[in-house]
Amino acid sequence: MFNLIAKRLINLIFESLNLFNLKNFILIFILISFFGCKKEQNIPEMPINTTKKSNIAYAEGFSITNGVNFNILEIKNPWPKAEKNFKYVLISAESAAKTTFADDAYDGIIITPIEKIVVTSTTHIPALELLNVEKTLVGFPGTDYVSSKKTRARIDSKLVRELGKNEGLNTEVLLSIHPNLVVAFGVDGKSKSLQTIKNANIPVVYNGDWVENSPLAKAEWIKFFGALYNKEQEAETLFKQIETDYNAAKKLALNTKNKPTVLCGAMHKDIWYLPNGESTEAQLLKDANTNYLWSETTGKGSLSLNFEVVFNKARTASLWFSPSYYTSLEALEKGSKHYTAFDAFKNKKVYSFSNTTGKTGGVTYYELGTARPDLVLKDIIKICHPELLKNYEPYFFKPLL
Amino acid sequence: MVKTQSYKITFTLLILLALILFFINLNLGSVNITLKDFFSSFFTYEKNYSTPEYIIQSYRLPKAITAVLVGSGLGISGLLMQTMFRNPLAGPFVLGITSGASLGVALVIMGASLLGGFATHFLMNEWSIVIAASLGSFLVLLIVLIVSSKVRDTMAILIIGLMFGSITAAIVSVLAYFSSAEELQQYIFWGFGSLGDLQWKELKIFAIVYAIGLVFTIAAIKGLNTLLLGENYAKSLGLNIKRNRIIIVIAASLLAGTITAFAGPIAFIGLAVPHLTRLLFNTSNHKILLPAVFILGAIIMLICDSIAQLPNSDYTLPINAITSLVGAPVVIWLLVRKRKMMF
Repeated sequence: MFNLIAKRLINLIFESLNLFNLKNFILIFILISFFGCKKEQNIPEMPINTTKKSNIAYAEGFSITNGVNFNILEIKNPWPKAEKNFKYVLISAESAAKTTFADDAYDGIIITPIEKIVVTSTTHIPALELLNVEKTLVGFPGTDYVSSKKTRARIDSKLVRELGKNEGLNTEVLLSIHPNLVVAFGVDGKSKSLQTIKNANIPVVYNGDWVENSPLAKAEWIKFFGALYNKEQEAETLFKQIETDYNAAKKLALNTKNKPTVLCGAMHKDIWYLPNGESTEAQLLKDANTNYLWSETTGKGSLSLNFEVVFNKARTASLWFSPSYYTSLEALEKGSKHYTAFDAFKNKKVYSFSNTTGKTGGVTYYELGTARPDLVLKDIIKICHPELLKNYEPYFFKPLL
Repeated sequence: MVKTQSYKITFTLLILLALILFFINLNLGSVNITLKDFFSSFFTYEKNYSTPEYIIQSYRLPKAITAVLVGSGLGISGLLMQTMFRNPLAGPFVLGITSGASLGVALVIMGASLLGGFATHFLMNEWSIVIAASLGSFLVLLIVLIVSSKVRDTMAILIIGLMFGSITAAIVSVLAYFSSAEELQQYIFWGFGSLGDLQWKELKIFAIVYAIGLVFTIAAIKGLNTLLLGENYAKSLGLNIKRNRIIIVIAASLLAGTITAFAGPIAFIGLAVPHLTRLLFNTSNHKILLPAVFILGAIIMLICDSIAQLPNSDYTLPINAITSLVGAPVVIWLLVRKRKMMF
């Protein structure tokens, strides 16, 4: 009985073996041994003969190394507590044809300059416009949030495709427009749709501007876009200008004597949410020479404090910035009667960027504020020290009426 | 007669405890307030409040009153449902009443923008959330009631309640997909539950609806006691079952609905308080149980709120986390000693 079964089994094995002819068999054998060897070797990264790091002064999340034929873009902290760095090769089409790269040494090969790009955050759009490459934008998720006139016009004439809402990218549409690059931002790097896009051989680069700790570091990410378009020099010049303007405004503000007290944020229910002392918002307030009442606090993310504490400390604060999404004093009062007990409310010294929006309702500050910290700082200085910047008209912050 | 005597002592003690806790609750918070400021706040004209006086009068006092109303109201509505369904696991949360209220609120906060400009204007006034939550909870309880008259198995009714929870969650997630970040945020914060969000104006409306709910409850006491004997027996005693049921449904949904509307979904109090009361008083007479649940509910909610305020720190914990931390072990404990359960 057992003999019979064994015989049958052996027959089966031989039959299946016959399906391969010898040639195939050898080929498979060679392939297997080849891959086996490959695992053991360390793939040497392409040697870059003369290396030069690009000059990046503030941003900590990316670096660019210039080589002879290609540049390497390294993204270090695309989301808080990211475990790995991402390395991308930036290479021209001609050089790419001549060079082969080991498959897993880099997270993507990007042919520069980019001709068709998809970005996913409104903060990426000003960089494209400043570099004069907004025409390469072919898709964006949530186009309604885009306020800038130039890009808005392109959206209205259907040159920029809508890619779905919020973070749920419409993968099908995205694949069909086939961009050269998708600039994404990751909250934890686990997006399934981004994985699908990568699998379709469209490189995905994470932009980590939002992780940076200072206003100028966030703005410096324009150099990241500069590298993608072979416009590093332009990006350098643009950033230099922003940096100079920012520091000049800061110096001007530091020379004044009065230091108004400032309250920020608003309540949800009875919990008050305000930026911590290390946030970019707090740094801007500090650079504008104001006394933000929570400037001593530390930590990541916003503070969530009890109403009592905030009221006790900030009832007499002279200025109040960014009260959540409220767009008028009346709306604030409707939200909670407690707001009306603050001096800043009584004196109508509440300032918000919520009323500065584009045609389709996107808040301009969220789009342009990251790229232009010089404007944000000047806004705050103008409000806190009206005697300075006589001819300046605040761009984002308007008093609530 | 002897029994009533002993209840009198327990009641006096409980009322005293509740008053002391009310006082303690007013004096505990993130900001240290001296007793002098505390008492002076009661004799100051509203316009001239100093900061500590404002905190006492405009924040802590309404919050403490809300805690009393929420704790007692949820306890009572839980008791009503446990008796009506003759099921120890019934309660506003388990039977999907809270889910109904959540659905109402989700539709108002997140659905308004979907319905277009006119509807937004029409729906988004101050009271829309309150009305939507009350309507939602009333509808769900009504459906549960209709189903329960068809299905005799109480377990089936509980499962139906849970199903409502799932349906709500599903509709909410669809709405969430299409709504803006601010709307979503608003809904999520509502879901955390909060006692400190009400001001005197809202509290007045809350108290009026709550009082109407209480009147219905008192009207149902006699019926509740007879219901405990079983529906057939109650019928033979001349109880109008149908009318009685409707009264109980109105009372329970008015209480649970408004509470959820004003304070958000508060977990477990409705389920745990009636059981605690039964264990403490060892009776199933609703004439005793109802006031006892009222006081115990208030006591527990005041304690929970005092803990949630994390006195002397700058932070406040979500009230829901605290009530669940207190409520869930009670339910577990009840299940463990089920054989001795008073019901």
